Amino acid sequence: MKKNNTLLKNIFNVLFPVISALILGGIIIAAIGENPFLTYSVMIKKSLFSLDGLLKTLHFAAPLILTGLAIAITFKANIFNMGVEGQAVLGAFFAGVVGFTVKGLPPVLHITLCVLTGIVVGMLFALIPALLKAYFNVNEMVVTLMLNYVVVEIVKFLSQGVFKDPASGYVSTYPIAESAMFKKIFGSNLTVFFFIALIVFGIMYIVFNKSKLGYEVKAIGKNPEFSEATGMNVSKKIIIIMLISGAISGLAGAGFLMSEKYRFTLDFSGSPGLGWDGMLIALLGSHNPVGILVAAVFYAALKTGSDYIGVFTNVPKDIVGVIQGILILLLSVKFFNEKFYLFEKVKLLWKKSSSTDFNK
Amino acid sequence: MYAIEAVNLTKKYGDFVANDNINLTIGKGEITAIVGENGAGKTTLMNMFFGLQRPTSGELLVNGKKVSFGSSLDAINCGLGMVHQHFKLVPSLTVFENILLGVEKNKKINISQKIKLKTPIINKNFEKKEVQKIIEDYKFELKADDIVENISIGAKQRVEILKMLYRNVDILIFDEPTAVLTPQEVDELLLSFKELKNQGKTIILITHKLREVMEVSDKVIVIKRGKVVGSKATKDTSSAEIAKMMVGREVILNVSKEDKDVSGNKVAYSVSKLSTRDNFGKKVIEDISFEIKEGEILGVAGVEGNGQSELVRVLSGLMESTEGSVRLYDKDITNKWPSSLRSAGIGIVPEDRYAQGLCKDMTIFENIIAGYHGNKKVCRNGILLKNEIENTSNKLIEKYDIRVAEKNGNVSQLSGGNAQKIIVAREFDSDPKVLIVSQPTRGVDIGSIEFIHNKILELRSENKAILLVSSELSEIMNLSDRIIVMYKGRIVGEVEGRKADSTEIGLLMAGLSLE
Repeated sequence: MKKNNTLLKNIFNVLFPVISALILGGIIIAAIGENPFLTYSVMIKKSLFSLDGLLKTLHFAAPLILTGLAIAITFKANIFNMGVEGQAVLGAFFAGVVGFTVKGLPPVLHITLCVLTGIVVGMLFALIPALLKAYFNVNEMVVTLMLNYVVVEIVKFLSQGVFKDPASGYVSTYPIAESAMFKKIFGSNLTVFFFIALIVFGIMYIVFNKSKLGYEVKAIGKNPEFSEATGMNVSKKIIIIMLISGAISGLAGAGFLMSEKYRFTLDFSGSPGLGWDGMLIALLGSHNPVGILVAAVFYAALKTGSDYIGVFTNVPKDIVGVIQGILILLLSVKFFNEKFYLFEKVKLLWKKSSSTDFNK
Repeated sequence: MYAIEAVNLTKKYGDFVANDNINLTIGKGEITAIVGENGAGKTTLMNMFFGLQRPTSGELLVNGKKVSFGSSLDAINCGLGMVHQHFKLVPSLTVFENILLGVEKNKKINISQKIKLKTPIINKNFEKKEVQKIIEDYKFELKADDIVENISIGAKQRVEILKMLYRNVDILIFDEPTAVLTPQEVDELLLSFKELKNQGKTIILITHKLREVMEVSDKVIVIKRGKVVGSKATKDTSSAEIAKMMVGREVILNVSKEDKDVSGNKVAYSVSKLSTRDNFGKKVIEDISFEIKEGEILGVAGVEGNGQSELVRVLSGLMESTEGSVRLYDKDITNKWPSSLRSAGIGIVPEDRYAQGLCKDMTIFENIIAGYHGNKKVCRNGILLKNEIENTSNKLIEKYDIRVAEKNGNVSQLSGGNAQKIIVAREFDSDPKVLIVSQPTRGVDIGSIEFIHNKILELRSENKAILLVSSELSEIMNLSDRIIVMYKGRIVGEVEGRKADSTEIGLLMAGLSLE
């Protein structure tokens, strides 16, 4: 019975911010003189209840599932890889480089090579903060966060210089070769990349819930001293966790490039970026793989839905950005509460202020 | 009129009743001992007395007046003070500064007879005189301008008491006050109790040490499972009777242990010339050497903070030694990782149950496999075998009589004794060659203490070598075959367990040699 209770509480915890964000978004839509119900129904119908839209949603969900998982595994261990964005971008960039420099390979081989490049680059880039954290106890949150800016500069320099495609009217690398592209399945929006993401999801589900590593990740996250004392080599585990996170991030970036963008541009990752979206998704899914899957699809649905809003209503598609913003705000309250027991403190204050009149 | 009277005092946490209709009276100017197993509800009751928690229902009367405390400040204003088990002092300040912390006396400038201007400068001389005066009033051995970090633990405790006395408290609650003291300091504290009583103070003593109860108290109240199960004048009862009331059955307080000759046995574990430094470069253990033979229990006695914790940390692989070596039979295991130590056959019961031994926020099953979760029995190809884990855990839960409300729940639901039993079950059942056991019964109820002691002796008869570190002298004396005493990181003496006597060990613990 108790288990049921916590499950309900979890569902409530996730649904509450989503519904509140939608309601607040609805108020804003109403304020600009449009019908929120119509807007939402267009959004949901087009993104989830039409085959074409659904496949498109799933297509966009693929990299988000991955970045969400990449963040969740580090957060579970109470280490904070804020560099998923940078690892994904760098992975994508070098996957792209391999995609247009290597030529004449059969597609299967070429795609594998590109994907592996993305994974390895993501891992290597995550290794820097991992080593610093494990052996010098440097705060990984700061290092990963700052390295994102380093990535921005590196890829800017490279795509403006050596890898610039002169035929393009804006800063961009060459497009990847045909043989390195994920083909659309039966002309739909879906590519093999989505299934790769699903396989990774399956593996991570087992890792999180059934494996020795998942057990150790949980223990390190809950009580590092206990983990050390019971013989888990915490430093080594931190490196492994960061490497897994980096690998998944790199895969996410590479896959997104090879299935959607086909060339690297400076706004490749979009705004706010795959990694940051992934963080929101991991929070929304409470760091639970299944939750992340659902959250990623929901989030992708918002994105695809937004394209149709502009077509069928007078609401600007930026409303989705507003809803996302509100969602982030509401989720961060929850996150803060978990970390600092905000609600409990407020409650305590309330209690105190109502009980000062005792002594008279 | 009573100092404190509780009428049907009840405290519930959700469905759990921590205190169930407590009715008790505490006489003015008396020393009342409140005893009970851990988890019996003593602490909850005291927290309600001291305003840290609010009762769900019932009334609390202090000096005949009904009160309702919102915080501990309210309690202090009503004349109630509490001396906590862990001192709340600033080590770098002097005794008087600590006592007046928060109620400092500022210098005043007299402008006229009526108007006095308060300055932000503290009047230290005045403060010192004032504190020295109350120290003399209560005949405490203390100097007002000593720095707190330089004085002994017993003296620190006296500072805590003075802190309360200075705030004109006349009902003093002591929470396990003797846990950190040497036997000599305990005697001094008990004398102070008598002195305070002569001065008309009321004292409430929470403890599970029956010797102190018998020696100093006027009245004993026994609490069990949130209820008062007995209340008697001390002179009309005996420690055996109190123990029986606490546990609800006869308890053998001194485990019987047959002597055996181990001189012919092989040396299982040997430590030679072990030293280490802490993070600040200070030598915390120095030149430690000992051997443990198969089937032998070596006790390490000492006042807390004299290097025992560090010794256990080094031996369990959490801290590196700078010099010396550790051997298991003829294998060198100096500075090995905890996981290698475990697979070499060393079981570790760590000092701090919730920091190193258990993870409160994980399930009982997950905790029972911790440290052994890589074993082939529960883990194949990196995947944990859920059924195996559940079976093993259920067996251990039964074998070690661990009382759990919900098997799938977290460890945080368990009482101290049962949580400790999880560690004991995990480490004892993994068939170790050597066991390092640190503070096995700290904060554990009498029933579990008896159980754990018997398990330790069982392993001894199975010819395991056991290192027992404890600040509970009676525990060491009851169980050990040989006892070494640590003082300031060194071994200052060794005594035969059979011939040990507490005065002798007490002197060693205080750093005085036997001459």
